[in-house]
Amino acid sequence: MATEAEQNKMNDSLASDGNRGNSQGGSSKWLSAHFDPVASLYTFSSCMTFSDITGDGENRLVIADLGTGAHNMKLKIYKGTSLVNENTIIDLPTGVATFYMDTIEPRVPAVAVASGPYLYVYKNLRPYFKFTLPPLEVNPVEQDLWNQARDDKIDVTVLREMLDSIRREGTEGALTVRSLRFLMLPDRDQMEMFAQSYKHTPLKRQTVITCLATLKKSSAEDDAISCLVVGTECKEIYVLDPEAFTIQARMSVPSVPVFLRVTGLFDVEYRLVVSCRNGNIYTLKKGMKTGKLCVELTSQPVGVERIGKNIIAGCMDQTLQCYTIKGKKLWTVYLSDNIITMSVMDHKQKGFKAVMVALDNGDVQIYRDKYLIDTIKTDSAITGIQYGRFGREDCSLVLTTRKGGLLIKILKRNAVFEEKDFARGPPAAQNQRLNVPKKTKVFVDQTMRERENGVAMHRMFQHDLYRLRLNTAREYVKVLNSSMNPVSTNLAEPLKLSAQVQGIGPTFKMTVNLQNTSLSVPIMNTLISFLYDEKLYSLQKTMIPVPLLVPGLNYKFETLVECVNDKGISDVIKAFVVKEGATSPIITAVINMPVSETVVVA
Amino acid sequence: MGSILGVNKKQAQILCVGLDNSGKTTIINKLKPKETQAEDIVPTIGFTVEKFKSSAVNFTVFDMSGQGKYRNLWEHYYKDAEGIIFVLDSSDKLRMVVAKEELDLLLQHAEIKAKKIPILFFANKMDLRDSLSSVKCSQMLELEKVKDKPWHICSSNALTQEGLHEGVQWLTDQLTSHP
Ligand SMILES: Nc1nc2c(ncn2[C@@H]2O[C@H](COP(=O)(O)OP(=O)(O)OP(=O)(O)O)[C@@H](O)[C@H]2O)c(=O)[nH]1
Ligand SMILES: [Mg+2]
Repeated sequence: MATEAEQNKMNDSLASDGNRGNSQGGSSKWLSAHFDPVASLYTFSSCMTFSDITGDGENRLVIADLGTGAHNMKLKIYKGTSLVNENTIIDLPTGVATFYMDTIEPRVPAVAVASGPYLYVYKNLRPYFKFTLPPLEVNPVEQDLWNQARDDKIDVTVLREMLDSIRREGTEGALTVRSLRFLMLPDRDQMEMFAQSYKHTPLKRQTVITCLATLKKSSAEDDAISCLVVGTECKEIYVLDPEAFTIQARMSVPSVPVFLRVTGLFDVEYRLVVSCRNGNIYTLKKGMKTGKLCVELTSQPVGVERIGKNIIAGCMDQTLQCYTIKGKKLWTVYLSDNIITMSVMDHKQKGFKAVMVALDNGDVQIYRDKYLIDTIKTDSAITGIQYGRFGREDCSLVLTTRKGGLLIKILKRNAVFEEKDFARGPPAAQNQRLNVPKKTKVFVDQTMRERENGVAMHRMFQHDLYRLRLNTAREYVKVLNSSMNPVSTNLAEPLKLSAQVQGIGPTFKMTVNLQNTSLSVPIMNTLISFLYDEKLYSLQKTMIPVPLLVPGLNYKFETLVECVNDKGISDVIKAFVVKEGATSPIITAVINMPVSETVVVA
Repeated sequence: MGSILGVNKKQAQILCVGLDNSGKTTIINKLKPKETQAEDIVPTIGFTVEKFKSSAVNFTVFDMSGQGKYRNLWEHYYKDAEGIIFVLDSSDKLRMVVAKEELDLLLQHAEIKAKKIPILFFANKMDLRDSLSSVKCSQMLELEKVKDKPWHICSSNALTQEGLHEGVQWLTDQLTSHP
């Protein structure tokens, strides 16, 4: 017996096998609108979005560019193929989001960039507001050490040693950035200088934003006001008010959040799906303070998406895994290469959502459920994917490459996606070793028994088979005898005859049904006659002329039958359908008459 | 005599297509007599039928909507079209491929393939910064490969009517010289 999972796997490979003939649609569904191999964009899917940030109906591409990781970090805005705006970002960006923060006309969405402990909010392409995460409590021992250093009570080597012992206690995250930086300094001179320049400023412990999302506040419309949702390095998740930037809800998860997927409305009901650095996925609903474990992934996720009621995770073991929101695994797809990034393709015109997976070999595969529906080939690995409305085009796809290139593709108006897999050749899953369970003792014993008693088992089987056939033949004869729907086998007169007897006697009503079962040939010149014991029965009509039988229709003939004997015996009456001039009947029905009730004499 | 009165003028039914927001309705509006011109131009839903005159031809033009969801309507009017006006937004570089795709679909359509009708391209919105020249537009649409039909491209600015007259004159010549 195969387990359910294996069964699924087998079905998968069968399904894709059946479709092998289909052509590799490849990139033919997409128009190449733009390719700039030297756009020098270094970014990820979480740092890209489309939004109508000028309110003119044309969506811009908003990208937080990570630059080299230390320099040249910028917020870039593309209008069509051209870069129209740049804003320098001070620290490494971890996410961008656009959201409507007010109802002021004309409605323009604001851009939020998460970077370090800050959220930079831009409106009309100008810096508008900076939100800082609330500071954390400083370790009192650490505070005390720096106080002593300030008052020159301890020297830098002692300070270093003491700080290092706090760090070694295992609570690395508990130290401030200043202490951590201090511990990284290589020699005494530098430590001296560092301590000199910073010891007088108050010690602050700050956390950083790891992920960013938006959550509509009270209405689900496209231009409704949204709250910002941020995940932080200190394992907390905050929901921020869009106008005052106050923390409206504070939740925690057991590990550092990495991917955040939000659905619902803040004022009504919402749900967060949070994938954390420990490889687990947690869910949170409105009112919950801590995350509930949903999935323990076997491998670290590279991307997590929410499609409908399902969670789809792309993992480092080259798998795409789908779970229900309750944490039940639905399917796994084995990919041919490592996943770099993932994103959702919401094809509103065709009404489906698919997940786009960028692989290390430069392919971008599109999966609708577990079925691969398209592959886009590029010659550099894709690090950022964003599908949506760009400019005036609803079905745009923006890809950024590892080499810093920018590709823009547009889905053809009449592109058709197969419902099922189109992958050519054996599916990747076929190369996967099946987890066949060990042979059990019962299985081994059974095999031995079969090997030893093969002949006897075969004979027994044959014997049973004969008995079955005999029983079948007997039943058939019985059926024929009791006139249950006898059917004419004569090809010239295909007829079906059935008869019923109604009543309790001594007078019965006999109904004979005739049907011409041929497709188009009418049957003419037939009669119904009866054969019966005249001592027992008397029939009102002993012969019924049959009119032309139109194919398919059911004809009903009735006659009264009187039982003339009061001894309580019954007999059979045979009904024949005969052709005029022929000597043998076409079909016969044998009707078992019921025993007649005697007339109750008063 | 008849032609002066305009009674015997040639009648021609033409089709105006192109992506949404390219300026089809604006162009046709400007070609109509002053007194019948509309004040506001809104995105076309489905299509509208308009009439305008050139020196020698009375045009009936089907102004089709260019929005993606309405583009499948275009082909229903190919059969009776005696000429085509294809409007491009020369400032929309991103969607030039989409315009090309739609043009290819049009040229490959059986009804269009079968006849030798003139195609007039307007590289519209030439007034906008970083708009493409008509030469660049024809390059991007690979118009040099259109060999079985007379075609012509002119830059235009529908707001000032620049280039419109040149285009319509070409179309008029085409329709009157090959009766
Ligand atoms: N700057 C500039 N704007 C133009 C030009 N032609 C049209 N427009 C503007 O472009 C916008 C769209 O024009 P429409 O005429 O509605 O475009 P359309 O092709 O009919 O669009 P659909 O009906 O949606 O297919 C309007 O705001 C026009 O004012 C032009 O030559 N230059
Ligand atoms: Mg229009």
